[in-house]
Amino acid sequence: MAKHFIVLIAVAVMTATASAQGPSSAARPSGDTARGKQLFEKTYRCYACHGFDGQTGSPRLVPMPMTEQAFVAFLRKPPREAMPKFVDVPEQDLVDVYAYVKSIPVAAPPADSIPILKDVLQRRSQTTQRAR
Amino acid sequence: MVGRRDFFKGAAAGAAGLVVGGSAAPTETEAAVVPRPSVLPPTEADVQAEFGLPRAEASGVALQQEGTAQVTTESEPASDFMVDVLKKLDFEYAAINPGSAFVGLHESFITYTGNKNPELLTCLHEEAAIAMSHGYAKAAGKPMLAMVHGVVGLLHGSMALFQAWADRVPLFLIVGMHRNPTGIVNLPHSAQDLGIIVRDFVKFDDETTTLERFAESAMRAYEIAMTPPRGPVMLVVPTELQEERISRRERPRVPELARLSPPVGDPNAVREVARMLVNAETPLLMPRKVARTQQGWDAMIELGELLQCPVDPGGYGSWQNFPTWHPLWGNGGSAYRPDVTVAMEMNDMSQLARNARAQGRKTISISCEHLFGHSNIHDYGRYAEVDLIIAADAEATLPTLIEEVKKLVTADKRRAFEERGTRVAAAHRDAHARFIDTTRYGWDASPISVPRMIGELSEQIKNDDWALVSGSQFTIETQRRLMNFDRHYRYNGDNGGFGVGYDTPASMGAALAHSKRGRLPIAIVGDGDLNFSPGSLWTAAHHHIPLLYVVHNNRAYHAEVMIVQRMSGNRGRGSGHAHVGTTISDPNINYSQMAKGYGMYAEGPIENPKDLAGAFSRALERVRKGEPALVDVIAQPR
Repeated sequence: MAKHFIVLIAVAVMTATASAQGPSSAARPSGDTARGKQLFEKTYRCYACHGFDGQTGSPRLVPMPMTEQAFVAFLRKPPREAMPKFVDVPEQDLVDVYAYVKSIPVAAPPADSIPILKDVLQRRSQTTQRAR
Repeated sequence: MVGRRDFFKGAAAGAAGLVVGGSAAPTETEAAVVPRPSVLPPTEADVQAEFGLPRAEASGVALQQEGTAQVTTESEPASDFMVDVLKKLDFEYAAINPGSAFVGLHESFITYTGNKNPELLTCLHEEAAIAMSHGYAKAAGKPMLAMVHGVVGLLHGSMALFQAWADRVPLFLIVGMHRNPTGIVNLPHSAQDLGIIVRDFVKFDDETTTLERFAESAMRAYEIAMTPPRGPVMLVVPTELQEERISRRERPRVPELARLSPPVGDPNAVREVARMLVNAETPLLMPRKVARTQQGWDAMIELGELLQCPVDPGGYGSWQNFPTWHPLWGNGGSAYRPDVTVAMEMNDMSQLARNARAQGRKTISISCEHLFGHSNIHDYGRYAEVDLIIAADAEATLPTLIEEVKKLVTADKRRAFEERGTRVAAAHRDAHARFIDTTRYGWDASPISVPRMIGELSEQIKNDDWALVSGSQFTIETQRRLMNFDRHYRYNGDNGGFGVGYDTPASMGAALAHSKRGRLPIAIVGDGDLNFSPGSLWTAAHHHIPLLYVVHNNRAYHAEVMIVQRMSGNRGRGSGHAHVGTTISDPNINYSQMAKGYGMYAEGPIENPKDLAGAFSRALERVRKGEPALVDVIAQPR
């Protein structure tokens, strides 16, 4: 439960940081996307929490709401202990990871277009109605 | 105290086997009665001098001319009597890894009772045998017998015994031990006090030095194991006692087992809880290990619906307790601030109680945890500053609580409750929808997303009477949102002690119990867990245990990857080495091949999510026909 709470806080902080940055969040990443993918998967193993594609873990990274600057700052000094600190990591590494994360396309079809999820929603709704 | 007479008694039995084999006729030198080192077997003359009987007769076996054995009819093995005692306890199965220290019992089970009730289950590790008993007990509502060898077998099995203790699950363990060991093998398998090895995490242990004591202790142990708070019990049964021969006249009486009644809460205290719940604006029920039975399940639903309040069964360490798709399931949403919280069988509510007290809210604990007496293992949690404790079994107390609540509910109260229930149901619906929205991300990803894995599985079994027999494996939230846990047996709970290695063997035990009731057992096991007990796959195949193993293969101990990353980061020493000592790759393990090697149908590794449906379908076809199967899924870490 505590872990989930921390994760929610982390998401809130990331989102808030992104909002504070305003339009600059659309700025083109300066990093090396391919190198960033290597770092994400093989070196820093960001997938351990966030999923191999940044969207199946918790918190979800895609679509990345932060600017490059906010992203680096966040990794240097995360607001909660659930997120590892990347204090001694070369800045270029973090910039490259950001470029990779930013490049990941959102792969999330609408729930009602996925038969399994649509069926779950329908069955839960029917079950709930029976219970009421 | 071991006397010379006891020594010769045991040694004579061992020596008889040599004589029966026809290879050891006593020589004149041996026949002479002279003091010798005790490690040597006794001669015919020794036995005659000690017992006044020929050696073979002393051990209950008569020699024939051709050197073959004939069992005497005047006496019977003491272990036959022990089996008659154990049959009173209605064990369906006995999980074992064989050991010479309980060979008397072993032989009686397979010959005297024909390997029926209990049927022996061959396990390839003592931890697997006891974990199998653990899973079975929760699904069947009664213990499975487990038997292990002295010292070494007990040490191997001790981890599983600990997990059952921490999970408050009844187990009945017999440990065979050579009380008077004579050889280099048996000496280290003997101990002055074998129980001390595990006494901190069993409810009761006894060394049964006589048959009368065995019979009484067996009944007492069963009673203690099954009385809440439940837990494992252990009898140490000396090899020599098992292998004694007793005459019909010497045969003790088999005692009757008393009917058991669990501890129920004090009626006045229960009435007070009812008053607090009915008068509360925002009550919350938090059951943990409560609904052992359908009656307990029905009672939890009745109480929740009566009060129209949220019922939050928690995550790890809880049983099913309440239907996951019920509109009252959950904590009522982030805006719901409980003014009265009733926790049931929660073993650490210290934080909950402290926070509530600071905000002027009330907390109540109804739990047989308050009746626990052990102190070494800290599984009882920190001290909780609750407002009221009822030291009783929560499930058994629920009917009284429900009746007391009914007495207090007026028409006005009922209207207010209905309004509250509507708000809680809306929060539940919204939370479910939000979660489903998150599951669509990475739906087609490879490695396969956990929601996709669970969703494809759910789709395949939605029309079956299924039971999830593994622990939560870090995916419990996904399971609960995507699968309709609408019966008390849908989820068998977790390992209890946060130890890896429970899921693979415990799932087999639970599957045995469920399959007898026509249910479809499913286990989602981590690759880390499976590697603790891969031999369990052979046991499942050998005994034709219908069970689908889905391997959540993330090729690591992922919790540890994250923890090491955090530690490196906190120390400012780089975060790029967290895979060292935490990942299970290079080479990758092929669990499908592993399962096939153990004789099990298997598919995988499945990397493309589009292949999941077919793999699950084919594997489930085998399971529905009564066989185990395994599907190895290359999945996202969480």
